[in-house]
Amino acid sequence: MKPRNMGLILAALVLLAGLPWYGSDLLIQFGINALLLAVLAQGWNIIGGYTGYASFGNSVFYGLGSYGVAIAMVQWHLPFGIGMGFGVVLAVVFAVLIGVPVLRLKGHYFAIATLALAAVMTAIVSNVGLAGQNIGLVLPPLNDDRLFYELSLGLLTITTLTIWALTHSRFGFGLIAIRENEEGAAVMGVNTTLYKVTAFALSGIFSALAGGIHAYWITFLDPDSAFDLTLNVKMIIMAVFGGPGTVFGPIVGALSLSAVSEFLSSEVTSIAGLFFGVVIVAAVVLMPRGLADLLRRGRKMGWGYFAENIRRHRL
Amino acid sequence: MNGILQGGLYAVMALGMALVWGVLNIVNLAHGAFIMLGGYLSWCLFTYLHIDPFLGLPLTFIIMFMLGYALQRGLINLVIRAPMFNTLLLTFGLQVVLTYLAQLVFSADFRTINPPYAGNSVAVGSVVVPEVRLAVFCVAIILTVGMWQFLLHTRLGRAIRATAQNLTAARLYGVEPRHLYAMTYGLGIALAGAAGTLHGIVSQIHPYVGASLTAKSFAISIIGGLDNPLGVLVGGLFLGIVESLTTVYIGQTYADVASFGILVLVLIVRPRGLLGRAK
Repeated sequence: MKPRNMGLILAALVLLAGLPWYGSDLLIQFGINALLLAVLAQGWNIIGGYTGYASFGNSVFYGLGSYGVAIAMVQWHLPFGIGMGFGVVLAVVFAVLIGVPVLRLKGHYFAIATLALAAVMTAIVSNVGLAGQNIGLVLPPLNDDRLFYELSLGLLTITTLTIWALTHSRFGFGLIAIRENEEGAAVMGVNTTLYKVTAFALSGIFSALAGGIHAYWITFLDPDSAFDLTLNVKMIIMAVFGGPGTVFGPIVGALSLSAVSEFLSSEVTSIAGLFFGVVIVAAVVLMPRGLADLLRRGRKMGWGYFAENIRRHRL
Repeated sequence: MNGILQGGLYAVMALGMALVWGVLNIVNLAHGAFIMLGGYLSWCLFTYLHIDPFLGLPLTFIIMFMLGYALQRGLINLVIRAPMFNTLLLTFGLQVVLTYLAQLVFSADFRTINPPYAGNSVAVGSVVVPEVRLAVFCVAIILTVGMWQFLLHTRLGRAIRATAQNLTAARLYGVEPRHLYAMTYGLGIALAGAAGTLHGIVSQIHPYVGASLTAKSFAISIIGGLDNPLGVLVGGLFLGIVESLTTVYIGQTYADVASFGILVLVLIVRPRGLLGRAK
């Protein structure tokens, strides 16, 4: 990485880390949400962006992480840190148990199977006594938005560093090889099952941690909100809007889309959702490789870029 | 009995999705939203113009067909060769747009198409069944069988099947893919509209109904396979029966677990559908 870019990134990080000391309460709360969504988008990036397996079930990891923290703290009176660990263990176990059979499926079929699993998990958890059934759990409140903000930012930094390390490792190249041509990768000696399951588990770990932080911050948890299916779609749109399979794309996508949707829902409530849909449609047609690709081109950008994208994919 | 009747309706819902999926290789996430739209269309025809929903069905079918054709020609054809993920997102975006448009125009209230004969019942053997449910079931069967015959015997139907098998070869035989894709999508949307009408008669429509109907159509298409409308019919009936049995014997909250659990199992064991042929 060029030193100039490195400096820019560090400056942005310092600016973000200092936000609780100069931003309003509202901004901090918005920041926590946006950062956690960015973590989810990054987590999805590992399995969806790099490995090419479009998981619609990452909300399960998020939910397991939330419930891991909630069960440990409410039912067993353990500290927050152990709860996070418990959530991560749950996510990894789920990723391995489910990943082995489901990751054999390809394309649409994988997407649908994971979506169905997410729906099943909601229903199962709402029948488990330990998880408070469909009433949910109430966590002991901790009124410290600054702490949660810094935790979220830290988690996002770790996630991004991990992905950056991935792109420079043998493991990361193996994942990209699987995305481009799975049979080819297997022939070249990549243990595809092991790689895919590991990628799935890795994306699960980060999603679970995000879920854990969110649960402790909101202090209330029920099956429908913890395993919210629309969360899948959100993280995927953010990752794809920003640029899947890039280190910073999902962050750019998550922060910009969160800002747009926050602004719209406070200014023009009724058409906010409509606008969101139009943005997605336009983005897919005009810039299928995401915002990151657009930014990388910088000044060389022009209308020709959009026309070129359309020409390439139309019938 | 209830399960079978509901299953017929499920089959029509999934028919359009399986068609579009099989031929265009697009998983149309907006499918449920089009079902919702069809329901609202029939509701408007019935409430403002007093057209009986069953008689208005062809009209809804034609309007939805035109909408689908225009949409495919003008928008979806632009990204049809992009990676599968982009078409998935595009149709999701469409579903968001349709949902919020419906909310703006029709408000979030629940609506039911309520013709004067809605309360009548008829005895089939020893079971008493509401007349409309039976009528909906019959229409659903007619649509499915009609679709099957259409694909088998008409020129357009054959062109559609040929394209599903091999686009390049179909092109060599004079199929214009832009037009044909649009026709197929139009048909799929028209079927969704018809399903919406039927759904509106026996159940309720509201702007957010789309997502769950998409998920069900998905499940049925997978269970039944994408090759044949009759497979979809079997898949629909199967899901309807399983859902009603779980509701009765295990509990309402497990109905979704059962249907989606079966979906996952089928995917793992037979990825081309229970009745689908291996490629």
